[in-house]
Formats: sequence, C-alpha cells, structure tokens
Amino acid sequence: MARILVVEDDKDLNNAYCIILRHQGHEVVEAFDGKEALSKLTDFNPDLVLLDLLMPIMGGLEFLQKWDNAKRRKVKVLIFTNMENSPEIAEAYKLGASRCIIKSWTAPHNLAKVISDTLNNKNNKSESVKSVA
Amino acid sequence: MAIEETNGINTDDNLRRKTVVTSKTRAEADAIFRSIGDGAITTDEFGRITRVNPVAAHLLGLKESELVGFPFFKIITAVSFDGEIMNVIDRPITRAFLTGRPVEGKMIYQTNKGKRVPVSVNASPITLKGKPLGAIEVFRDISLEIEIDRMKSEFISLASHQLRTPLSAIKTYTHMLTDGYMGELNPMQKTSLETIISASNRMNELISTLLNITRIESGTIAVYPKIIKIDETIKEILPELELIATSKQIRLKMQIVGKNSTKIKTDTLIVKEVVTNLVSNSIKYTPDNGQVTIIVRPKKTEIVVEINDTGWGIPNRSHDKIFSKFFRGSNIIKRETSGTGLGLYMVKGLMDTLNGKVWFNSVEGKGTSFFFSLPRVSNKIK
Repeated sequence: MARILVVEDDKDLNNAYCIILRHQGHEVVEAFDGKEALSKLTDFNPDLVLLDLLMPIMGGLEFLQKWDNAKRRKVKVLIFTNMENSPEIAEAYKLGASRCIIKSWTAPHNLAKVISDTLNNKNNKSESVKSVA
Repeated sequence: MAIEETNGINTDDNLRRKTVVTSKTRAEADAIFRSIGDGAITTDEFGRITRVNPVAAHLLGLKESELVGFPFFKIITAVSFDGEIMNVIDRPITRAFLTGRPVEGKMIYQTNKGKRVPVSVNASPITLKGKPLGAIEVFRDISLEIEIDRMKSEFISLASHQLRTPLSAIKTYTHMLTDGYMGELNPMQKTSLETIISASNRMNELISTLLNITRIESGTIAVYPKIIKIDETIKEILPELELIATSKQIRLKMQIVGKNSTKIKTDTLIVKEVVTNLVSNSIKYTPDNGQVTIIVRPKKTEIVVEINDTGWGIPNRSHDKIFSKFFRGSNIIKRETSGTGLGLYMVKGLMDTLNGKVWFNSVEGKGTSFFFSLPRVSNKIK
C-alpha cells in the first residue's frame, strides 16, 4: 500500500478522503494548503500527492512550482479539482501532474481505482477524466 | 497692371479669397482630425505615416515627430493575441488600402521603443476621385475590456468551484454511507441515499452545463487538442453510459464502420462531453427495452459519429428549434419532466469550438439519429 499526502482545504472533503484511503490500507497524512503540504513533504516522503488546486495561503500550482524539481519527479501527483475545462489543469500537467480528475464526479470506489492506476503508471499523463459514480 | 474683371471682382481678390477658404478648410480638417477621441493615423500609398493625432501618439507613447514620415509597419509591430507577429499584408490598414473596403481587427501594438498596447482597429482606404491615396486607421486601447473579460472568466470559474465544493462533500459522504464505510444499511436507507446521489449528479450536470455555456458564449472555453483515437475516447465513457442504459433495459452498442484510422487531433474532454450529452439524451428519450447505437465512421478528412436510438423522435415542427437555448420538444415535456433545454444548445456550441458540425434526422415515433463530424486536423484549434 502507498504513502499518500492529501492536500485539500475543505475540511469535510479532506476528512472523507483520509477515511477512504486509510480504509483501503494506505498510509495517509493530510494538509490543508500548499504551504503546509511543502512542510510535510520531507518527513512523510509520499508516493502520491492528492492535490487540490484552489486553496488559501498557497494553491496547488504554487505548491508544484515551489516543490524541489528533482524530488517532485519521483512522486505521482493526482490533481483533484472542480475547475473543469480550466487553463489551470494544463498548467498542472506542465508542472508534472500525472493525472487530473473532477472531484464532484468521483465516487470513493473510483478514487481508489484512479489512485492504483496512477501508482501503477496506467493512464499516466492522460487527459482529465470524468468519472461518474 | 493687367486687370481682369470677373463679376465685378478682380482675379487677384478671387485667388486670395480662394486661398483663404482653402487654408481655412485645411485648418478645419486638421483640427477635426486632431480632435478624434480615438487614436488616428493616416498613411500614404507607400505605408508611410502622413498624419498622427495626439491620442494616437499618447497611446503609443511616441511623439508625433517620431511617427510622421516613417513607415507605419517599422515603427509599430502588430502582434496577434496568440503572440504571433502579423504579416504586413494581413494588417487591417494594408487590407483596407488593397481591397478598398473598411477592415476591423483586434491585436497588440508594439512600438519600436517596446511599449505594448492591446487595440481594436478600424482601417479605411482614402480615395480621391477613385484614386487610392493611402489609408486611415482609427484605434482604441482595449486593455480595460480585456481585464473585464479576464475577471468575468475568473468569476465564473470561482463561482463554479464554490458551488461544487459543498456538492462534492454531500456526494462523497453519501457514497461512503452506501459503500458501507459507516456500517451496514437496510435497503430503504440505501435507496434513499442513492436518490441523494442521483440528485447531486443532476445538480452537478447543471453546474457543468451552465459553466460550459458561459464559457462558450464568452469565447473563453479552454481547448487542449491532442492526437487521440476517437473510438478509444468514447470507450472510456461507455461504462458510465451503460449504467444509465441498463436502468431502462436499453441496449447500448458501439461499432466502427470502415477501415480508416480513428486518429484525430481534438480535445478529448469536449468530445466526451458531447458524446455523453447525445447518448444520455438518446437513453432518456427512448422507451424501456429500446436500443441506442454509437456508430463511428472515420472518413478521409473527418470523422463522423452517429448516435441513433429507437426513441420517441422529434416532431417535424420542432426540427428548426432543436439547438435553441431552453428549447424542449413538445412531445417530450409530457414524458420527461427533468431537463433544462440546454444540452443540445451546449453541444452545438462545443462543436463550433472544435470546428465541427452537428445535425440530426428524426421520425416521430420511430427514433432519432444525431450526427457530429470533426475535422481530423483543424486550423481553428491549436
């Protein structure tokens, strides 16, 4: 099972993702903005970062920009956003995101599948996926 | 002294009077030109600047003496909003001079001193007795308009994000309940929660549709073209569409006709949105136990996708309104109360964005075939 850093400012959603991922056996640490996520990277050393884009203090794109490039390349980044069809998604791919999914379309069982596919390199660098429950 | 009388006024006086009138007319014309509230520049037939009004000089950050007498195209470079330098032949003032007609355009003007200003340009030829003398260009700064557009897009994006965040929480927690994360549920509890999920999905679709329509109408929809196989893209969304079809015992099939490649350069997400809309429409408006078929027909320069159903069909009298905003078929409103009348309007807008076409054939009581075609490569999308 993987080490996953959940970066999501909405407390309810952050809590839900942590419950789902722990339930599936992953080791999970949460952060509520990009700055907090940067500070937790070194100690936690995740395999995958589940990253929201629009957050206070430091958003997802700024987080990707500030993350050490060499270290970032070793970690899968799964963008989890509600900003469908937005230029920010293209920017996230440029900054090394592996995949992008739309939160409000994704049910817990789909989240589990997307995470295992991303960790196993399936659909790597693919387009945004609209996964409906 | 040779004196010639003309109507009692000698020619010297006549000439003096004409000179005074001409000077006055010229001064007036000059004053009018200088008073134009937008930037105005005139050029001769060789493209050299002959006149500049103070607004033009101010907008470009140059003195009139730095402009007059110089070739317009050397002093001011026109750059498209894609960042490409425009050819002299494509610039409005050249086209107006060459075609003899007014030409409009929007671009960024960059001076030889490095100042950049986005402008809306209106150029017209100057002719005297049918002979082209040069051209005049009137332009204005559109920085504020661009900023307002950017703020509008940002607002739409933020509003949609804010609407979806609580919806995501509602849906995720409801799913956690139905998936048993919080313990076993009895069948009635499970059915009630599934109703909440279905309502959240409808709300989500509505937000997506409104967001897409606003972006289509404001021309700000993001397009990310890449080379894909269209059949594979459609296959990715088939499982979710099959779920909807199965709930009505409708058979959903997909087939590819012909041996041409299904490769195409287009935007995957928009194609998925279009197919999802057309197929879910077909399922929605087909009675139980019917059939919906997706047929992919790859042709030489384009790919045509057909979605046909054995549904209720569209009455003849509604055929010309089917892609209009908020329109719903009269035979459908009685059967299906849910629906916004925005789906096909959005599909049409999305196809326009991808430089594609959408049309249909329908016989009331027998079924409908919707078609869309996309060029394999489009110059309109980059």
